[in-house]
Amino acid sequence: MIAHVDMDSFFVSVELLRRPDLRGRPVIVANGTSARSRGVVMTASYEAREFGVHSALSLAVAHRRCPQAILVPSDMRLYRRASKAVMDIFAEFSDTLEVAGLDEAYLDLSGSIAPKTRAREMKHLVRQRTGLTCSVGLGSNKLLAKIASDLEKPDGLSVLDETEMPDRVDGLSARIIPGVGPKTEQRLSGVGVQTVGDLARIEFELLADAVGRNHARGLQARANGQDGRQLEPVREPKSESRETTFDRDISDLEWLGARIDELAGEVCASLSRGCRAGRTVTLKAKLASFQTLTRSRTLPHHTRDPDEVARLGRELLDVLDAAEPLRLIGIGLSGLRRDGESPPPTVDDGPALRLDLDAA
Amino acid sequence: MKLKTTKHELVDALSVTSRATSTRSALQALSGVLLEASSDGTVVRATDAEISLELSLAAEVELPGSILVPGRLLADVSKTLPDGDVTLATREPEGDLEIKAGSSSFHLRLLQADDFPKFPDSAGDPVSLDSKAVSETIGRVAGAASTDEGRPVLTGVFMTAEADALTMVATDSYRLAVKTTKLTTPVSTPIEANVPARALRELSRLIEAAGEDTELQLWLGENQAVFGSGGTRLASRLIDGQFPNYKQLIPDKFDHEVSLDRDELLDVVRRVSQLAQRNAALKLSFSEGELTISAETQDLGDAKESMPVSFQGDLLEVGFNPDFVRAGLESIQEDEIVFKLISPLRPGLLEPAAGEDFSYLVMPIRLND
Repeated sequence: MIAHVDMDSFFVSVELLRRPDLRGRPVIVANGTSARSRGVVMTASYEAREFGVHSALSLAVAHRRCPQAILVPSDMRLYRRASKAVMDIFAEFSDTLEVAGLDEAYLDLSGSIAPKTRAREMKHLVRQRTGLTCSVGLGSNKLLAKIASDLEKPDGLSVLDETEMPDRVDGLSARIIPGVGPKTEQRLSGVGVQTVGDLARIEFELLADAVGRNHARGLQARANGQDGRQLEPVREPKSESRETTFDRDISDLEWLGARIDELAGEVCASLSRGCRAGRTVTLKAKLASFQTLTRSRTLPHHTRDPDEVARLGRELLDVLDAAEPLRLIGIGLSGLRRDGESPPPTVDDGPALRLDLDAA
Repeated sequence: MKLKTTKHELVDALSVTSRATSTRSALQALSGVLLEASSDGTVVRATDAEISLELSLAAEVELPGSILVPGRLLADVSKTLPDGDVTLATREPEGDLEIKAGSSSFHLRLLQADDFPKFPDSAGDPVSLDSKAVSETIGRVAGAASTDEGRPVLTGVFMTAEADALTMVATDSYRLAVKTTKLTTPVSTPIEANVPARALRELSRLIEAAGEDTELQLWLGENQAVFGSGGTRLASRLIDGQFPNYKQLIPDKFDHEVSLDRDELLDVVRRVSQLAQRNAALKLSFSEGELTISAETQDLGDAKESMPVSFQGDLLEVGFNPDFVRAGLESIQEDEIVFKLISPLRPGLLEPAAGEDFSYLVMPIRLND
């Protein structure tokens, strides 16, 4: 079961947390605060939406439709912080999380025996910890989840089954189907397609003539609730490396050693920012003849100590014993682990050894 | 809803289900137990969205209905009721549950039942399993499962059954336990699932509470499993992802195979381990004809004890986590065991010398000296 979470008028809601006096009033977050400026609406509060103000509308038009709206300049740093906070909450509910924007995400809730309850819990937690509300849609694929999250906005929770598409979605504008933009919409209306239901049932050849066969096939499948897309979760990188190519080929070991020190410093600084550490140090070298060699060594513990990594890197350079000068050198750390992620029990007598499960 | 039961029945059912109520959820409904009374009988149900438990309650239903009551409170109240009959009845205008036993009466405010999930479906044909074999196998391996959510696949017990062999494996990467148990009745279709260790521990409790001779039925879905036995059902999610190929982790050959008396070794390990505190290693030194087990904790002291063994060859010193060695020995039921070893940095294997099919692989601690 896939969930699509959509934060309700995200930027505005985040602004309202620090400006509670604006609650209940038409508020527009825009990249520009003067009605005459060339800015556009980024998010409008539900009160402003009642006047026909929506995102991507020019500020001039928005001002005409709703002159009393309060314009708030956008503060992306604040929204990114708030986004991180809500994404962290989503991540507590599933290992498979696809961040689809600052204010929306897909997550796989198949791991729970009660996905709807999980979604409900998540909504509670988001509100409790951040004061924000979101709408969650549940479905057997991303498309159904996405459509479902829009059915009961704001603060909604709905489940959309493929078999319910006709009853609940057929009457809605075909615009809700991904792939139907303004241009396609125009072409569709040329063949009499206005709603999802029209699109689902129009004769295929007719549709193909209007939008092309490939596009037609995809659109019609989606209008029938079918979607084969997988979630694309952000995966943590498995290794971190830096390399440098020289202006000329080098064989001076001391000079190469100094480059290794620099690269180790950069790798470790990056790991340190991500609160990660690695166990396997790899040296990469490209010879003057373009042949690439790598040598690695695995430590009994995790590290991001630049001195330790550099020392191992220099040892590996010795082991490499290149017969030719080098044109490139690189240092990498793999076997990465996030801080606090089950470090092996620290044993006074020495490190506890682990079974090599990755090899099995 | 109105029903009549006894204190004893009520306490029994609630003590089991309250283990599945969630006290930390943001959703109040998950802290509740659902009482559902119908002409088919009465069930008590609780869930934390990870596992779901359902028990039947022996009761006379006077008025069918379904209510959600704060789980912990109802369990605590039930325990203190006077022995004998208990009536449970909802009071409509007040929206609460009236509990009457002897001359005491309680009124508990109901929870919103809309947010309470339904029990997962168990469609299709179940596989029948010998409940005694299941609960016994769980008991031997579940302790080796990982508690680290950082690697979810290891928090489960990998369970397979084919023909008349039931196998369960668990590992936290420091040790690995495998047990194969013969089933009295072969399974109708082969099964394979990675079930959270916690769910299996609860299942084991349910089987024991129900008496071991009941037949256990398993419905295996894509993402979840439902176990049923008598009037009891347990649903759990399954863990996704590839479980390590454990057979590859167990070395084919060991350099040393030392036979030992289980009880004797366990006594020595328990005694000496008292001085292996703060993560200090338990040191096993095998020399010609003798095993010396020692431990030392800085600023605390040390302990040492020797026992005669059938060891041949050069001195072999291996360090182990004392808890892992003890747990391994405790999981073996035969009197005589074999400790198989290769070298100080390779895994050791504890196995019964004969009889049942159980293996406990344990990784050493690297000793610095």
